[in-house]
Amino acid sequence: MGTLDYIWAGVLAVFLGPELFSIFGVPVPVTIVMIFAGFLLGIAVGATPGLAGPIAMAIALPILISIFGYTPDALLPVMGFLIGVMKGATIGGAVPAILFNTPGTPDAYMTTLDGYPMTRKGQAKKALRVAHLSSVSGDTFSDMVLFICAPFLALLVEGYLDLPEKTALLILSLSFIAAVIGGSPAKGLISTGLGLLFAYVATGEDFYPRLSLDSKVLAQGFPLATAILGVLIVGAVFKELTDLWREKRESGALVGTVKDSGDQRLHMAEIRRLMPHIGRSAVIGTAIGALPGIGSTLAATIGYTVGKARYQRTKSPEEPEFGKGAPEGIAATEAANSSVSGANLIPVLSLGIPGNAAAVFLILAADSIGGFNPGPSVFRFTADAVNTELVIAFGLFTAMVVANVLNWTIGGVFMRSMGVMTRIPKQVLLPTVLLLTLTAIYVQETRMDAIWFTLGFGLLGYAMRVVAISPLPFVIAFILGGKLEESARQAFASTGGDPWFLFTHPIAAVFMALSVGVILLTARNNRARAARAST
Amino acid sequence: MSNESRSNLVLGIFFAVFALLLIFVWIPLDTDTGLIEKVRRQVTIGDALAPTVAGIFLLIGGLILIVFERKAADQPEIDPVNLGFMAVVFVLLAASFLVMRYGGPALVALVNLTRETPLEYRLLRDSAPWKFTGFFFGGTLMIGGLISLVEGRVTPRAVLIGVIAVLAMIAVYDLPFDDLLLPPNGDV
Repeated sequence: MGTLDYIWAGVLAVFLGPELFSIFGVPVPVTIVMIFAGFLLGIAVGATPGLAGPIAMAIALPILISIFGYTPDALLPVMGFLIGVMKGATIGGAVPAILFNTPGTPDAYMTTLDGYPMTRKGQAKKALRVAHLSSVSGDTFSDMVLFICAPFLALLVEGYLDLPEKTALLILSLSFIAAVIGGSPAKGLISTGLGLLFAYVATGEDFYPRLSLDSKVLAQGFPLATAILGVLIVGAVFKELTDLWREKRESGALVGTVKDSGDQRLHMAEIRRLMPHIGRSAVIGTAIGALPGIGSTLAATIGYTVGKARYQRTKSPEEPEFGKGAPEGIAATEAANSSVSGANLIPVLSLGIPGNAAAVFLILAADSIGGFNPGPSVFRFTADAVNTELVIAFGLFTAMVVANVLNWTIGGVFMRSMGVMTRIPKQVLLPTVLLLTLTAIYVQETRMDAIWFTLGFGLLGYAMRVVAISPLPFVIAFILGGKLEESARQAFASTGGDPWFLFTHPIAAVFMALSVGVILLTARNNRARAARAST
Repeated sequence: MSNESRSNLVLGIFFAVFALLLIFVWIPLDTDTGLIEKVRRQVTIGDALAPTVAGIFLLIGGLILIVFERKAADQPEIDPVNLGFMAVVFVLLAASFLVMRYGGPALVALVNLTRETPLEYRLLRDSAPWKFTGFFFGGTLMIGGLISLVEGRVTPRAVLIGVIAVLAMIAVYDLPFDDLLLPPNGDV
């Protein structure tokens, strides 16, 4: 099969896959329906403060696997649903930020700065239209970069990197993620170290399950879902519950609502004015998103800051400043944070390294179902035999295009109707999400130990948040831990037992030097910043 | 968050000590193979190496916190009141899951007091309404309890929300699927 044949096979796998039902004799494929369902759910959870895409993915995954089973046929419908959630949550997060000054997702915080003032001026619908246009434009741009870069990067990795280099690349990724997430390389390293440590409990090659303290409960190790959902979701719920309880004790006044007034449409002239901001932020978001571990919040902040500097030089005196209801502020933020999502999949599809929470859930789905291992080996364009993983990869790209089409066509309408989600009280939502998550774990693992593990990981996630340690490096290290050890074992064997294999191969040595360099550089910068702050 | 907080220093010392204990005590005592092993004249990586790398990550992280980030701005301050609330939440969760685990068998034992031929929960765990009892009572206690904790008072509304949410979860996870087991029915 040639390259075009593979792309076409991926498209057909989505559109000519198993039929769910037919409308007037036209078959409706199940993957399309699942993308659509995921997309709607994503908008709803994104629009609900306290919920986010990963929570919806966590709760839905066991249900989806029960419906579709553990066969390769399940991959596209399940992962299509998750992609739909990811896309929907990206635009949904702007709704409460604009309407109620409460960001639905953390990366929508900057959207509140101009979105909420627009609402207070009676331009809520217009602000939502600006957010939708910017978000969808940024997202589409980012996806196009993903489609081009991921296969190219994967081929490069497969072509030039041998086992020692791949091991060093994994170490570099972990160091990079540790250094950049959360702003403290030390805390990032601790988070990574803890993730690796838990991943190594009861695994290994020896008969005795290592680090299991001779306990039968630990002898099977920690299931992937308990660690991921515990630290990411349960930990977040614990933290939110505590914050909510605290807020309740020091409750503030409620702000009244303002009715929309004036023209709420978005005119061509306005779109032309917004486009440079959207374009600039889309490039910023995509570049940031392509690096594993750097989140959309940073992209939004940089997009907003750069947009603000430009706007101040070009704006006319009667136009509002950034932070006082400028549509350009919403455009700069939303285009930047939305363009991260597609580019974030570049490291996962080309290197097998998840860069954000959504990618973590895609890996969890692929791992649970089987038959697809995201990483460079996926992009092997074999001519003689069909590489089914490559067909799935192009199927995923097709699913992203479908989600984008939905986003462009009906996303705006759904987004604008989701204001009602912000009225669900958090104290009702959070306990329900907690039980849903724990139930989702149980139906997958069917043992109470899994629930206790998840609660334990939840406490760990809570403690990490309290002491400002980001949980994301933990999760990524937990996922990559097994891969790192396996790759090191193979590299060690292939180099004839050379203990210095990470330093005797030039590319591997460069990766190792970069791993140390990135940690030292960020630590030094942080110390300099602390010294400046204390003087 | 403040400049006065010494939480980074405390955290750094904790993880540095933990990493040293991990590398020099826990790993050697709790793994059967060393860092490098010789099996049938072939040198391979032992089971102790990977956890040691994890320990090195923790050690370096702890040392950087002590050396470079000791005086970092915006260090978190640990609030004992929040931790107290969290402890109460965890006790409530533990109680809920104990009710979930033993609620069904306990109800069966109660019913058995009035029966001549005793029932066995294990045999009933796939038939309604028995299979829902533990999940129903434990889940309601958890959701109703957490809402009441946050609101600072127990209300019928909180209990009702718990009941509705649990019934909705039963409808989502159990009714459409024959192969899914709600907690605790995989264990009993």
